[in-house]
Amino acid sequence: MKLLLRNIFKNFGEKEVLKGISFSAESGRAFGLLGRNGAGKTTTIRILMDVFGADAGEISIDGKPVDYKNIRIGYLPEERGLYPKKKIIDQLTYFAELNGMKRQEAVKAADYWLGRLGMEEHRNKRLDTLSKGNQQKIQLVTALAHNPQIVILDEPFSGLDPVNAMLLKDVVKEEIAKGKIVLFSSHQMNYIEEFCDRIAILNDGVAAIEGDIHDIKRNYVRDKLVVRSEAAQNIRQDLGSCCKLKEDGSLLVQLSSPDEKQAMMQRLAQTYDLDEIKVFEPSLNDIFVEYAGDQAKEAAV
Amino acid sequence: MRQFGTIFKFELKSYLKNKIFVGVTVLLVAVIAAVMFFPSLMDGIGGTAGGSESENESGESSGTEGLMLFFAEGVEGEEMLLASFKEAFSDYEVGKTEDSEERIKERVASGEAKCAFVLRSPTSYTYYVDNLSMYDANTGIADTVLGNVYQVNAMTKSGMTPEQVTEALNVEILGETENLGKDQMRNFFYTYIMIFALYMVILLYGQMVATNVATEKSSRAMELLITSAKPVSMMFGKVLSSCLAGFLQIVAVFGSAILFYNLNREQWGDNYIIASLFDMPVSLLLYMLVFFVLGFLMYAFLFGAIGSTASKLEDINTSVMPVTLLFVAGFVVVMFSMSGGNVDSLLMQICSYVPFTSPMAMFTRIAMSTVPVYAVAASIAILIVSVIAVGVISAKIYRVGVLLYGTTPKIGEILKAMKRA
Repeated sequence: MKLLLRNIFKNFGEKEVLKGISFSAESGRAFGLLGRNGAGKTTTIRILMDVFGADAGEISIDGKPVDYKNIRIGYLPEERGLYPKKKIIDQLTYFAELNGMKRQEAVKAADYWLGRLGMEEHRNKRLDTLSKGNQQKIQLVTALAHNPQIVILDEPFSGLDPVNAMLLKDVVKEEIAKGKIVLFSSHQMNYIEEFCDRIAILNDGVAAIEGDIHDIKRNYVRDKLVVRSEAAQNIRQDLGSCCKLKEDGSLLVQLSSPDEKQAMMQRLAQTYDLDEIKVFEPSLNDIFVEYAGDQAKEAAV
Repeated sequence: MRQFGTIFKFELKSYLKNKIFVGVTVLLVAVIAAVMFFPSLMDGIGGTAGGSESENESGESSGTEGLMLFFAEGVEGEEMLLASFKEAFSDYEVGKTEDSEERIKERVASGEAKCAFVLRSPTSYTYYVDNLSMYDANTGIADTVLGNVYQVNAMTKSGMTPEQVTEALNVEILGETENLGKDQMRNFFYTYIMIFALYMVILLYGQMVATNVATEKSSRAMELLITSAKPVSMMFGKVLSSCLAGFLQIVAVFGSAILFYNLNREQWGDNYIIASLFDMPVSLLLYMLVFFVLGFLMYAFLFGAIGSTASKLEDINTSVMPVTLLFVAGFVVVMFSMSGGNVDSLLMQICSYVPFTSPMAMFTRIAMSTVPVYAVAASIAILIVSVIAVGVISAKIYRVGVLLYGTTPKIGEILKAMKRA
């Protein structure tokens, strides 16, 4: 199954929120939807879930327009919240029923997931008697109980302790292994790198970059070198403003073009006693900072 | 449609499981039961007491209220006055006394005598009583008795025979009232209660719908709801379930009242107010049902839409104010017209076609006056069309409102957002 969003536009009054977003995600793989606050992630998710329509553009599954009556989507919103005063099993069944399950099925599914997340003892309690982390696990059940084909998780790891984070990781991996499309939205890049094969970084209403995470890294312009040396001070004096000291004590050397790479490496190796010299491979965090916002622009200036 | 059913069931269950809802209903039914069974209970207790009382009384035929002292030394026609007093105050044991005024006061204050009339002349007296009761009508009776005696004396003196005097004073006027419409006196009580029930239920449940929606929004459950269900299903599910809950409550309260009354009908006997309360025609109950459902939906939709625009629960009270005021204004107009006895005034006629006030105004007019069928039909038709329109508009506001957070949006902003949606 392949989900494709093409050229999605959305305005709210004067404000253009989405200006032609496109990306695709496949089943059995996780997709990372990244972007700073206000970049249009939630609007994109809401259009994808048919809360409101797009002004222009199309959403298709396997080339056909999405039939919302027959597609099941599970959603863990960033703003968590259920009914605080109602019994947990009642609300879980309610949401599973709203998402198309029959009552018996819904109760069964809710019980399965409560068991899977180690929450069965809380089945008949009121939600507000639970800790924040446990409430979040209940919220996760609402996203998964109705066995959705597309799972959208918005900041799923925020507020979880390491043990629960591990449990959630396992669950997410299971869902991916079941052949579902998992859409991740998060600012915690380490989790994105761990799960996602593909990402899209939204900036100012467009996908600034979209594609396979490894390709993105490989295609990153190889015009920076990382140098580690005892003579860092001398190297900085020698190279001037194109050499910066990183937080970990290594040096980042900006080349004027990638072609210069070989010459610079040789020159430094011959002149100084180096511990390490390599081409700079960006982390997802670096890529995010570069594509997602004006901080990158400011840094360039 | 399936979603609507799921939401409807979920919301209705919340009402029926709500301890306050159940508690209030049970309490109301219990109060009604207590009131309705009161005469039977009193009969049960009073029955034995009454028996012993009649035994005590067997010796004397009058004087249940106690001793009334009568002093008229030196007043003209003393014997005739005493006889008239005895006749007028048959509840009392009227006893002539020759005690001094001080002694009379003592006897009344000590409780030996209930009260005393000390006559100074045929037209002036002093009434002595220990603790003047709110319902003490003795002076009024005494005034009438003294007035009568004076008139008879005066007329006899001027030459009329006692027969002529009696005839002149007791002339009987024959009059007959034939009511061609409705008896407002008789309809007043049940109309009042029904209007009040309508008012309470619509206002209470309307507020509940608004709070319910705002709670879902402020707890952020809305984030998940809005992606799981269509706003129209959500809105209609909520409003119709609260309508049914309100209806069930009314049926429980009114139903138990009617049931308990019928169980105790004999004991209530000829109590005018109670009898007139339960004398309502079935057609009026049907009208009440129609106006209750339509009026309820009208306001519940509005309240739901307003609830969706509030981000915080605290905002609800101020946001619903305009709609509440509109409703209260309608209620006040109806109440004033009812107590003024003029339910067909121009204002009421207008109100009975305006959809926001017609559920109460038209209902009152049907209950207390005679309204042509076409007018009733027109009023109901206008109301139905308005309810549908308000329902559609409210669902649109709801759809937009639930996604707006932050400060409560202005009406203009909502309209703009509705256009865009």
